[in-house]
Amino acid sequence: MAGAVAERVWRKSDPDRIEADLAALWREIAAGETRIARAVMSNLVVFRDRIAPVDADPTAVVAGLPLEEVAARHPSRTIVLEHCYGAAPGPPFSAAVGITTFGPPQARYGVEQIVVRSACPDASLLSILRRFVRGDLPTTVWWTADVSTAPPPEPFIEVGRQFLYDSRSWSDIRRAVGAMAAVIADARIDPADLNWRRLAPLQRALVHARGPLPDWATVEVRVHAPRSEEALAWLCAGWLRAARRAPDRAAVTVEIGDAAAMVSVQVGDIAATLTQHGAVVEGTAAPFTIASRVESDADAVADELRTLARDATLIGTLRALIDSFGATAA
Amino acid sequence: MTIVIFGGAGDLAHRKLLPALYNLHVDGLLPPRIAIAGTGRKSIGDEQYRAFAKDGVAKFSRRPIDEAAWSAFAAILFFAAADLDSERGLAALGSRLDVIEHERGGNGDRIYYLAIPPSLFAPTVRQLSRARFVPPPEGRVARLIVEKPIGHDLESARAINDAIADTFPEKDIYRIDHYLGKETVQNILVMRFANSIFEPLFNHRHVDHVQITVAEEEGVGTRAGYYDQAGALRDMVQNHLLQLLAMVAMEPPHSLDADVIRDERLAVFRSLRPITGDTVDSDVVRARYAAGYVLGKPVPAYTAEPGVDAGSRTETFVALRACVDNWRWAGVPFFLRTGKRMPKRASQISVHLKEVPPILFNADPSARLDPSILSIRIQPDEGFSLGVNSKVPGPHVRVFPVKMDFHYGSTFGGTSPEAYERLLLDVMAGDATLFMRRDSVEAAWNWVMPILDRWAQRQQDPLPEYPAGDWGPAEAERLITATGRRWLAP
Repeated sequence: MAGAVAERVWRKSDPDRIEADLAALWREIAAGETRIARAVMSNLVVFRDRIAPVDADPTAVVAGLPLEEVAARHPSRTIVLEHCYGAAPGPPFSAAVGITTFGPPQARYGVEQIVVRSACPDASLLSILRRFVRGDLPTTVWWTADVSTAPPPEPFIEVGRQFLYDSRSWSDIRRAVGAMAAVIADARIDPADLNWRRLAPLQRALVHARGPLPDWATVEVRVHAPRSEEALAWLCAGWLRAARRAPDRAAVTVEIGDAAAMVSVQVGDIAATLTQHGAVVEGTAAPFTIASRVESDADAVADELRTLARDATLIGTLRALIDSFGATAA
Repeated sequence: MTIVIFGGAGDLAHRKLLPALYNLHVDGLLPPRIAIAGTGRKSIGDEQYRAFAKDGVAKFSRRPIDEAAWSAFAAILFFAAADLDSERGLAALGSRLDVIEHERGGNGDRIYYLAIPPSLFAPTVRQLSRARFVPPPEGRVARLIVEKPIGHDLESARAINDAIADTFPEKDIYRIDHYLGKETVQNILVMRFANSIFEPLFNHRHVDHVQITVAEEEGVGTRAGYYDQAGALRDMVQNHLLQLLAMVAMEPPHSLDADVIRDERLAVFRSLRPITGDTVDSDVVRARYAAGYVLGKPVPAYTAEPGVDAGSRTETFVALRACVDNWRWAGVPFFLRTGKRMPKRASQISVHLKEVPPILFNADPSARLDPSILSIRIQPDEGFSLGVNSKVPGPHVRVFPVKMDFHYGSTFGGTSPEAYERLLLDVMAGDATLFMRRDSVEAAWNWVMPILDRWAQRQQDPLPEYPAGDWGPAEAERLITATGRRWLAP
């Protein structure tokens, strides 16, 4: 249902003039021949850890993000906040506003985008976020940084209804899981992990092969994955451990090393392997495969934006990992 | 017609009135042969006044200056000094106006705009009477425009109204609350009474509660002298917020006649349940801002602002729960809040409809559906939106609150007229619909007086604070969360 980009307009702005400049852009667009409706389903606050030189054009901050693709699928008021950790503290120093329009002339809609670059203290971040989010829309915070090196400050948790991240980017699993403790402790915000979605075929396959998790809680499980998929392996382990009582925890072990598959799970005689294309289960009477959903990053982000329900399984998994790592989690 | 602006070289004229008149000129809406005469104590020449006006238009007009249009507009601008303290202080003004009107072929109709402090309202009107400006010659009109605040309490409001009424009949008095001139506020009536979908919902059977938020990002700025004596209840609630409440809650008028509409607004004020005694403590929260951040910048506490007494107990924030005790709104709370140094400048009315029953798609207690909310954005980002739950496409039943969003900017393009443009035009046309009648002003004061009286009695109570850049103090959160609801940020 995503429309093709019809036009994109960006304008450098001043942090104090963002709303006025955005309003002026809308008026200019509305003055054209084609009627354009503003589409807005959510606030999408995109956090970027400092990625561009201080004197760079503000629009450079969105480079590498599939924001237009996401907006085409789930039109949101997109607020990209680049927070320059380590720079000299100060108020927002540059900004840009943009409108991207999609679809054919008879059904054209526009989505607004705001870029703010700041090096302000954490305590003042909330004042920036509150300025730009619309209160009558659900707010998703998309954390594009590595949570283990750039944990979300409290303002991001306070302002959001959903905290979207990708655990594939975690360079230190234990520290990242420790940082996620603050997110899952707040019932007002729901965690959503893009990496977690990739585990779904393997989860379905294991349950199909062995039955509900508690039924085989006493069976030893070994999870094996390459270094590049360490987070996914731990998510799998956390998911299994969450279904087991404390005495059984040792029964799930994680081994990180050389492996061709994304994740392999050995449960007794059954071996389940997750690849890019799906989960393959062997060792049962009849081997079977469950296909992975074919989706782009933008598809995945948009699908999460449309999901307002709390993912109790992911939260349980993270809790289990927090318990597992104990004091080693920061 | 001649518009005479007392305080013509003041801040209001510079920022609002002269830019509004310029835009009316550009739109071709000013009557032919009109003259605009600023007046004040200091004598400045016409050319100097035109330069002052041009500066105001350049800085504050919604349109940039068009030199050709400006030249024509400048030709109708004049300045004449007037000394209100002198027995014959308006004589020279009268002579000058006679000359201007003669030269321009004016018809003698006049509008007197009091853009001056309220303490000067009565003396100025007396001078107008003494100098025989009023009553006007037979067949001509003389109208008076006064700005809020009209008094600082019920007694002083009555005194001002009495003094004005000695000279001007009520039909010729135009009390401005500029909120009523905003396009989005006028659109409330159109939305309610020109669409069959909304009006049937506007009652206690379908509405759970209503919220009205008028948030200012600015601190007290250069208005400390006035504001520290007034506070948020007098400065905002008694007029702007109650007018917005009236627009949402009023019954359908039987015609668009000014007095019929104003009667209905008055009926709302008279239906407001008085907040008195202990109820003030439970249903009204006052606070002032402490130091904090606005858009990432540190800002000082109210008591550290220039011109504010360090021991001041003036509130910069008010939140309250009001009840309209009539058949339509019985049991529906109206939550009002306003404050300075909030995260953004925004005025919004949100009508929260009742939840659907906890069955079918709303059966999961851990994932309740968002109730539908009609949000009316007064400023900025003018428009309104209605949240409607919808199924997300796909094999599973997932529900998402989509927005049906009407946005002035992308729908109509161009810039909406400023409130003062509409209001000045209405005065010229003799249409008082968007102005406050005496009974309405006094009814509003009558409702807030018990709150002011209670606060005066409780001077020793601690005054809650909120960090600048926040939506208010914890007490305001509790005011609404205690009822199982929560504030909707604009």
